[in-house]
Amino acid sequence: MNGLKTNNAPHSSVVVPHFIFGAISFFIVAVMLVLSGAGLLEVYFNTKLIAITHMAILGWATMIIFGALYQLIPVVFETALFSEKLAKITFWMTAFSAVFLSYSFWVASFSMLLPYASVCMFVSLLLFVINVLLSYRKSEIKNWSSKFVIAAIIWLLATELLGTLIALNFKFNFLTETHIHYLKIHATIGLIGWFLLLIIGVGSTLVPMFLISHQLNHNKLKASFYLINVGLLGIAINWFLVNSSILLGICWLMVAIGVLFFVSFIYDSYKKRMRKKLDIGMRYSMLAVASVLLPIVISSVLILGVDVEYELLSRIIVFYGFSILFGFITTLILGQTYKTLPFIIWLEKYKKLVGKTKTPLPRELYSEKIASIQFYLYLGFIITMPIGILLNNLLLVKAGSIALLVVAILYNINILKIILHKVIPIENE
Amino acid sequence: MNKIKIAQFELATLELLKTVMDPEIEINIVDLGLIYELNYDGSEKINIVMTFSTPACPLGETIISNIKETIKQKHPTFEIAVDVVFDPLWNNSMVSEEGKKALGL
Repeated sequence: MNGLKTNNAPHSSVVVPHFIFGAISFFIVAVMLVLSGAGLLEVYFNTKLIAITHMAILGWATMIIFGALYQLIPVVFETALFSEKLAKITFWMTAFSAVFLSYSFWVASFSMLLPYASVCMFVSLLLFVINVLLSYRKSEIKNWSSKFVIAAIIWLLATELLGTLIALNFKFNFLTETHIHYLKIHATIGLIGWFLLLIIGVGSTLVPMFLISHQLNHNKLKASFYLINVGLLGIAINWFLVNSSILLGICWLMVAIGVLFFVSFIYDSYKKRMRKKLDIGMRYSMLAVASVLLPIVISSVLILGVDVEYELLSRIIVFYGFSILFGFITTLILGQTYKTLPFIIWLEKYKKLVGKTKTPLPRELYSEKIASIQFYLYLGFIITMPIGILLNNLLLVKAGSIALLVVAILYNINILKIILHKVIPIENE
Repeated sequence: MNKIKIAQFELATLELLKTVMDPEIEINIVDLGLIYELNYDGSEKINIVMTFSTPACPLGETIISNIKETIKQKHPTFEIAVDVVFDPLWNNSMVSEEGKKALGL
């Protein structure tokens, strides 16, 4: 069986807990948003907003990405995960650290709890990085998708290292610049280096696979890889050492063009797709890829240094973070959950029954009606919330938060429905 | 068994394999064009040469097992060998008219 790598998938007990924890975290994030209300309209570095951001980034997005990546390593690297045991240990450590870290921010315990929570998170992420790197070492496939994944996990470690240094600085006070300065670098390399690169790496494999599109131009991925990585490295070096607005502009442009190359690759895949009708998972995913253009526009406005008053600038920064975290990352995760989790559970439950009994389709493991309502409510959320933030309108912000809470409840119902699916065998006639 | 009967058996088996679905694409593997060859030796052995839409298809093993089980339900004593190849690479020209209709092409 030439090249068939289907027996490398990890056991579902490695992957599924990540989806459960991620779904619960998503619900907690929605509750925190409802509770914080007016806090979202304050300066972007207020403790409640940072707590929500870390719960969303680590407890929700990173946790689901870890789980999905363990499942996708056999697809992207065409090899098995290095250690399932290490993945399980990493899960428990990351789960504990995410809650610990967010709680530390929520109660503003910067010198008592935060340094310890950060070190716990750093160790957890380090274990994840080691597991992925050792899996990659076994892989014979060194394509652009896998290079994106490797670059992403290195940026993840750099992000967490800087985050830990900021946290330790509250206790030991050794950094020379203000926290806001380092926070800017921490957020930028985290969002672009970790999330964006990882999503490009996995997305450039999965989107053509799900849309069934072939003969795509992989040079676009190559250009995207170099432009984003070199641009991001330039941005980080500039902020650490040079502080030149011209260099910043050039590097930012490189990143933006790199992202456009990826969007163009996905657009080609969409145009050449054999599967014309998009299911719920792919509708979310296409919306996410289109949404990535929004932060590019906002960041360009910020980089160009458009003259606005401080209060509005602060809200634009919150809007920028929102457009990446919710417009792009969360949209994609919501969609890809419906593409990956039903398959993981379906494979576990029906692998040995196919051909012997009638089996349902993976998409029949969840309610498409709930998923569809969830999609339109989510659209409502990503439209009302940013308008509320930009116009400083608390009513819209609250309406958006409540919409997200309902989305989170519906999402959790479907996740439970998938995970708790019971096999009812029906003999073939 | 003469050549005509062997050909008829092969066609009937292909028809049987139309009950094997790709659970992600939701089209049967025959209309999807994944079966490159199906050879019956006239006694109790069937050789299948097939492909997947992507080399790292996460459902590959399940589809193979489905093929074997489906044939064994009808011919319990048969030996079924499935060989997976990626040369030529699967492409949309291999999809049948019915498959194209199901894909919305």
